[in-house]
Amino acid sequence: MRPRVLIAEPNAEVRRFLELTVERLGYVPVGAPSAGPVPPVDAVLLEPASPGSRSLLHRFVDDVPPVVCLSVYPREAGLEPAGSVAYLVKPSSAAALGNALRSVFGR
Amino acid sequence: MRAVLAVKHHLMNRRRSLVPIVALAGLFGTFAVMMLTDTAGQIGAIGLAPWVGLFAYDVGLAGGLAAAGLGLALWFIAADTQNTSLTALTIGIRVTAFLVFAVGSSIVGRRMRESDKAHRTQMSLQTALIDSTLDGICLTDVRGNVLISNVPLRRISVEMGLPPMGTVPERLLAIAPRTTEPDRYRRRMREIADQPMLASEDEFEIQGSSRVFRGYTAPITDADGRFTGRIWTLREVTADRELDRLRDAFVAAVSHELRTPLTSISGFLEMLRDEEQTLGEEGRLYLDVIRRSTERLQRLVEDLLLVAQIEAHRLELVLATVDLDEVAAAAVEAARPTAAEKEVALRLEVDGAPPVQADAHRLAQVLDNLISNALKFTDAGGEVVVSVIRNGSYAQLAVTDNGVGIPLDEQSQLFSSFFRASTAMRKAIPGTGLGLVIVRAIVEQHGGTIDLESREGKGTTVTVTLPGAPEAVA
Repeated sequence: MRPRVLIAEPNAEVRRFLELTVERLGYVPVGAPSAGPVPPVDAVLLEPASPGSRSLLHRFVDDVPPVVCLSVYPREAGLEPAGSVAYLVKPSSAAALGNALRSVFGR
Repeated sequence: MRAVLAVKHHLMNRRRSLVPIVALAGLFGTFAVMMLTDTAGQIGAIGLAPWVGLFAYDVGLAGGLAAAGLGLALWFIAADTQNTSLTALTIGIRVTAFLVFAVGSSIVGRRMRESDKAHRTQMSLQTALIDSTLDGICLTDVRGNVLISNVPLRRISVEMGLPPMGTVPERLLAIAPRTTEPDRYRRRMREIADQPMLASEDEFEIQGSSRVFRGYTAPITDADGRFTGRIWTLREVTADRELDRLRDAFVAAVSHELRTPLTSISGFLEMLRDEEQTLGEEGRLYLDVIRRSTERLQRLVEDLLLVAQIEAHRLELVLATVDLDEVAAAAVEAARPTAAEKEVALRLEVDGAPPVQADAHRLAQVLDNLISNALKFTDAGGEVVVSVIRNGSYAQLAVTDNGVGIPLDEQSQLFSSFFRASTAMRKAIPGTGLGLVIVRAIVEQHGGTIDLESREGKGTTVTVTLPGAPEAVA
């Protein structure tokens, strides 16, 4: 089964780009539910600058999966949540994003 | 301070008007006692002389001599009336004694007045000096009572709403409820009050007014190291904090509002590249323009944010032992396509530079900026040389071009934000005027120095000197 990647990004256009990139990498993009529990996924692609996106991490029923951050702010801004395995600053290339996700899944 | 001086001045004036009267009263009083008790022989000249001395001390030499004459005359009268026998020797001794008293006391008096005047001049200079600063300054004794304070301090105290009475710690503690963080403020003030030897620097904001003050206090000790009081300084930093706030708002806006659309632009542009072959030649040309412009915009955003970080003194380095040769080689390789396009020869010379303790990513930024500048300002057929050498225990990096150069009178401004040399403007060479600001900040943060040598029409050399890593020096 192809790994599922939850995309928590507030900007619709960026979200679309991320979905396409994730798909091209061979994973399944999953949209973030606006309320209620979050379905189990294999990784989260998160904009930590968005409070809505960050709060999503508290709505997982089971353990929070590995988080890849893609942010408008640098790492020094201190927004990186616990469980984050990679931190990229926007605009990040599809290649860099691919490397980060591949390192999570090991493929 | 001024009040103390005024009171002292007043006292001195009063004393000066009173002393001669007291001295004269003393002279005549002593004379009266001699006459009434018939004791001219017993009391004699010695009873009158101190009054002459006192008069001379206060009035001066001429007045003193006159008082001596008066004193002698009174003594003669008393002695004559009471038939005290006088010889030439006793008269001579008395006259000499009166004169010595008059002259000596007047000299002492003058000296004292001069030294007092010098002291007052010194005090008013000191007052002028501490009043001339914009910072509020005061000195307190062991218990916290104000000994000296300057005008700005009294002004700031009123503006902060400090009560007029009490010791300084008490007065500062009184405004705790009006600060934005009363608990922290109160704790700090108590610490200062309880720990005499504590030096402290704190910032606090007054509620509702958004006015921010920075206070500093340090103990004063005597020669034996005993606590004798405190010095306190206060400065309003509202404008600085407002600037910080604006800078943070700017950084947030640039980060958020520019990086977000740039993400989708560059992302979709990357996807479009995969379908480049389906576009016609013209379409590919347009795509190239979009790509270059997007990269330029990305660089601008990164530069703006980096300059904001530098100005806020928040540039942080990730240090490791770095081989400058490698960083330079990578930067030169990355710049080869641009050099080829401009038909400028690009050469790298390395010669045993020591490794440096540095942030490799930031050093690469330094090199990229310097090489990019050199290429931009060098015409086709020119040459750019990047050299990395050892200079004692230092690693020295130089980027030399034989390009347009920078006019001498503009060289000092090159490291100011957004400054662009007239040679760049004339030739319409693109740039933001941020590159060298970033370069210098990174170099200085590494403990290094940067020098620029340039002659218009001949070329430019920028030299960066970085200290060698400690183990490499040893």
